[in-house]
Parts: sequence; structure tokens; C-alpha cells
Amino acid sequence: MSALLRRCLATWLLLAACVSSPSQATEVAGTLGAMGSDTMAGLMLRWGEALTREHPGIRLQLQASGSASAPPALTAGTTRLGPMSRPMNAAERDDFIARHGYPPRELAVARDALVVVVHRHNPLDSLTLRELDAIFSDTRRCGADEDLTRWRQLGLNAPEGRIRLHGRNAASGTQGLFRRLALCGGVFRPAVNEHPGSAAVVAAVTHDPRAIGYAGLNHLTPGVKALARRDAEGARHFPTPKAVQRGDYELSRNLYLYVNLPPGERLPAAERAFLDLVLSSAGQAIVEELGFVALPETTRRRQRRELGLDEAGR
Amino acid sequence: MPNVRSSPSARRRLRQGRDRLATLLVTAGGLGVIAALLAIGLFLAVEVVPLFWSSDAMPGVTAQALWLPQPGVDEATLGYRWDPTASLATDEVTRISLLPLAWGTLEAAAWALLIAVPLALAAAAHSALFMSPRLRSRLKPTLELMEALPGVVIGFVAGLVLAPWVERHLAEVLAMVMLLVPGLLLAGGLWSYLPSRLQQRLPLGWAGLWLLPWLVGVLAVGVALAPWLEAWMFDGNLRRWLEVRLGLDVAVRNAMIVGMAMGFAVMPSVYALAEDALAGVPRSLAEGAQALGATRWQTFVRVVLPAASPGIFAAVMIGAGRAVGETMIVLMASGNAALMSWNPLDGLRSLAATIAIELPEAGPDGLHYRLLLLAALLLFVFTFLVNTLAELVRTRLRRRYRRLGGGA
Repeated sequence: MSALLRRCLATWLLLAACVSSPSQATEVAGTLGAMGSDTMAGLMLRWGEALTREHPGIRLQLQASGSASAPPALTAGTTRLGPMSRPMNAAERDDFIARHGYPPRELAVARDALVVVVHRHNPLDSLTLRELDAIFSDTRRCGADEDLTRWRQLGLNAPEGRIRLHGRNAASGTQGLFRRLALCGGVFRPAVNEHPGSAAVVAAVTHDPRAIGYAGLNHLTPGVKALARRDAEGARHFPTPKAVQRGDYELSRNLYLYVNLPPGERLPAAERAFLDLVLSSAGQAIVEELGFVALPETTRRRQRRELGLDEAGR
Repeated sequence: MPNVRSSPSARRRLRQGRDRLATLLVTAGGLGVIAALLAIGLFLAVEVVPLFWSSDAMPGVTAQALWLPQPGVDEATLGYRWDPTASLATDEVTRISLLPLAWGTLEAAAWALLIAVPLALAAAAHSALFMSPRLRSRLKPTLELMEALPGVVIGFVAGLVLAPWVERHLAEVLAMVMLLVPGLLLAGGLWSYLPSRLQQRLPLGWAGLWLLPWLVGVLAVGVALAPWLEAWMFDGNLRRWLEVRLGLDVAVRNAMIVGMAMGFAVMPSVYALAEDALAGVPRSLAEGAQALGATRWQTFVRVVLPAASPGIFAAVMIGAGRAVGETMIVLMASGNAALMSWNPLDGLRSLAATIAIELPEAGPDGLHYRLLLLAALLLFVFTFLVNTLAELVRTRLRRRYRRLGGGA
């Protein structure tokens, strides 16, 4: 239930604690508002803490109410940072352009992956995307021949009976991503149990040998087993940090931060300080501490260059 | 007090003024509540209207899509599907049926009432009429304290502790349920054969206490017999037997678990109201009936129960209202699978849980957002109708039994 708790907590305005450290010469002050993804809530908070340690004058004020809340807030100008666990869709982008005349600046700040998990005693160790689609959807857009509803159909004897499906709730970024990547844009079976958080999915699978579910990589626990994706040649890709970073493990995604930055202008000081931290190796270390995967080095350096952040010392 | 020695007429005027002020405040409060209620309904209705008058930004949603089976959606659910995000993504607004959600809400409420009402009414009848006053004065506050348990806690325990346990021990649970009623009847039968000295040590008024060890014993026997039962009646494996013989799946979080958890949540309020109604029946009625030769059972069924029926009915209806609107228990114990099945061991999904889960993620003013508000409006109308019906029936029953002097 940590997801629920987290949401309850995050709906309050969470203020990063102020810790003074007089090391930095440039003084930046103010409150930096952020509104968006609850997947990224922990990440944003830790970045906010680190930011306040570097620049005692800045505080990050986070409201984590779901990725969908970020674009309207950015468009209306009620928030300066929009963390999102999915890219903005066309409608959201168009709304922003209609109001401001230019698209919002999109920055990849971390990588995340969806893991397909089964009970730790389940003998299964890998699935093809086609099998995954046939298990979770009844539209079978990825091209499977028949629905997979029983463990026996996967050539297993051990868990008998039906496959019990667990997943995230409708409209969450995680569910949308899984539908796009694993169901080829199809539709979930109605029998999928929908949980309000990845931790709840993992908890449900932990207690049930017949269950399969998908969750965010950072919620993986020893109680469940993460399945590898098997490609057409039979090679297995486990969701290791390397594979997620390179994109070899297909069920992976970027986590984004959107800012309102008119083309050709420099970032305001507070945003600049924040992004400088996020795209630093220290900022990426926080990403890995929280169970996500750091950006590939090239992406990180390219984005720093594009934002005009100095590369020395980072 | 400066006006201690004021004239009687001045004091009367002051008192009248106070009375008038109090009346005014009470009236204003009542009107305020009614206004707030209407405002909520109106807000929901206004927000929902754009769904049906399609603008260019929003595809028109038809009543057929909401309530009738959609051809070509899928056969397994007879064309009733709730999956608005998929509908939006694929541009076919056909998977927005509210029927599975309404079904889930009613199914959950029905199971909860089926479990809570008999238990609560029996408990109320026993404690109001047969229990020793000393035990009752301890028991009643305890039961009413159960009402204060937050739904989240009950839902948490049901979903994360009870559900997996029941799923692993299906046969034991079945055996316990099967033995419970015969076990209690056996206790009653045995008691009447006890020597009178023992009967005095175990008075019926204290049955609530001395039956507890007996109950534990019965449940233990149930657990011990479960493997035999499973081997003898269900070919050694109850789950497989259910699947092969009856075609029933067992989901970990299912309608039965929801019914148990929500029944537990609803029971205290039903009990408290029903108990008050039964205890409010004038003793003279029961004594009169007994003086005319009626047994305790006859007195209870023919005299006390009818006289208290308005209150009991209200108690049940309030339980129903709470069961329909309850959110957290269903959300955490049901698995939220939008199925429509008669199988009590399948998952379900209620309107309230859907709103709670999906509203934070639905973009404001979008189709999904308005569909969820439509669901909220539906829920509002549901509970409004249940409560209105309860009030109507209650006043009619009360009028009929007023001559008996029954409490309500």
C-alpha cells in the first residue's frame, strides 16, 4: 500500500527540508513548483533535497497527482516543472502551443522499465512479446494465434489452473505504456486485477503462485521473479540496468521533465540550478539509488550541451 | 446576570426571542444541508451534460454505448466493457459500458448485506430480548466501537491478509461455514438435556459468553475435517473440482471476500439501529403476549418483530446505503476487475472504487473525466433512491404499527 500512502502524502505540498551549506558561490533563491507524475515523486523529492543542500535558498514544492496533471498546469503557468512518466500526447502539446506559441521543452531525466513478474517459485523465466500479449489481452494485436489463459498452455506443469492477471489501474502512465509496448496498442482483458500502485501489484503476486503482473522496475522485491523478454531468435533479455539503458529490454521508457522555455532564451536561475543537478552524475546517482536506471552518458551530455550547462566539474 | 429582577413579561419575551433564534438556526441548517445536497447533484449533472451534446472536442457518448452491449467488442463479456482509456486511444468509443461497474457495486452490496443482515439482526434480537442486562451493557458499546474502524484498515486486512489465507485454505473455510449452523443448533439441543444444576451455571442470558469456547471447538472440528471433506466430496482438490465440475474460477480477491469485509463494516450500524428499535418496543406488549400463553419465540416473531419493523427496515436500508457507497474496502479487497459474472469467487469492480482510482489520472474536462463524473452521478442517484425508499417504507410501516405503540 505504499503507493496509496505515498499519494496521500504527496498530495499535500511536500517541502524539501532546508539544510544549510555555504559552499556555493552563486546565490539562487526562491520556490520551485513541480506538479505531475507520482511515479517520479520520490525522485523529485530526493533531487529537491540535494538542490537545497547545494543552494540553501531554493526549495522544491512538489505536488504528485499523476502525469496527466502536469500539462494543464504547465500550460496555465501554475507550475514551472512538469515531471511526467510518459511523453506528452499530441492534444496536450497542442494546448500548450496554442497558449504560448512554442512547444514545451522536453528533457529525459531518467530511464525506467516495466518488469513482468511472477511468483518466486514459478518455473517460467522468459516470455516473448507475443505470449505476453496473448496473456494480458484478448485482442492479440501482436499476432498470437490463441489466448493464453492457463499455465499449461505455456508448457508448464507447476502452477496449475488459470493465469491470474495483475496490473496497474486504467489511465495510469504505467498501464498506458504496457498497453503500447506489450499489447501492441490492444485492450486488456477485463479479468486483469487493477491495483492503484506498482507496490500493490508486486504484493499481490508475492502471495499467489498462479499470478503474473507488471510493475515499475523500482518496485521489484525478492518475493517475485522478473521475467526476461525472449526475442525471435530465442535470446533472453533480462531487465538489467545495462539492458534498460541501451533499450535492449523493450519494455523500457524515459522519465521526462517538461519546462516552459521559449526558444532561444536561457533558463531562469532556479530551473537552471535544478536541471544542472538532475543532469549531473550526482543527480543520476540518486536515480540509481531509487531503483530506476540512469540516462545513457551520451544523452546526458547532449542535453547538458543543449541547455548550455557547463560541463566542467560534473 | 444583570436582568435577574426583570419583569415576568420581559423574561418571557427574552425566552421567546431565544426560541425563535434557535428555530431559525435549525431551519437554516436544514435548508443548508438540502441546498448542499442539491448543489452536488446539480454540479454533477451540469458536468455530465457535455458528454451527450457532442462538441468538436468531445465525441458524443450515446446511451447505447453506456448501457447496451456493443457488437464486436468481445464475446466473453457479452460486449460490456469498461476501458475508457483504451477507447480514447483506439478512437472507438465502445468500451465505456457502465454496466459492469453498476453490477459490481450491486453485487458487492448484496453479498455484504447477505452476510451482515442475518448476523446483525440475530445479534440485535438476542441482545435486546434474551441477553442478561449486565452482559448487554458491556457488549453493545463494544459492537458499536467496531463501527469506528476505518474502511481502509478493514480493506487492507481483507485484501492482504484474509484473501490470500482463504484462497489457500478454501476447503477449511467451506467446512467451517458448513459446520457453524449445525454446531450452534446442536449446542441448543444439548443444553436442554443438561442437568438443571449445570443449566443454572450456564444461563441462556449469558450464552454469548459460554458459547465462545464451543464455537472455537466447532471451527477446530471444521478445520480437522476439511481434508476428509475435500477427499470425499471434491475429489481431493476443491479448487480443481470447482473449475472442472462447475466451471468456476477462484480469484484471490473476490466477491466473497468483499462481502465478508464489507459485511463486517456494515454490521455494527445495522446492529445498533435494529437493537434500539427492538429494545424500544414496550415491555407491556411482550408481557401481554406471554400472559396470553405465547412462547418466547411466538412473542418475538408475532409481536415484537412487527412492532419494531420500521426501525429494523431503516437499519437494513442504512446498511445498504453504506455498502453501495463504500469505497476503500471494495477498492482494496475486490481486485478491481470489471467483470460481470455470477460467480461469487470472481473479482468485481464498483463505481466508487473506479472513481477513486481513475479520477486523479483522468485529465480535467476530458471524456474520461466526464464519464467518471457520470459514474458519480449514478452513485449519487443510487444512494438517494435507496434512502428515499427506506424513508417511504419506514413511514408507512410506522403508521401501520403505531397503534401497537412500537418504537422506531
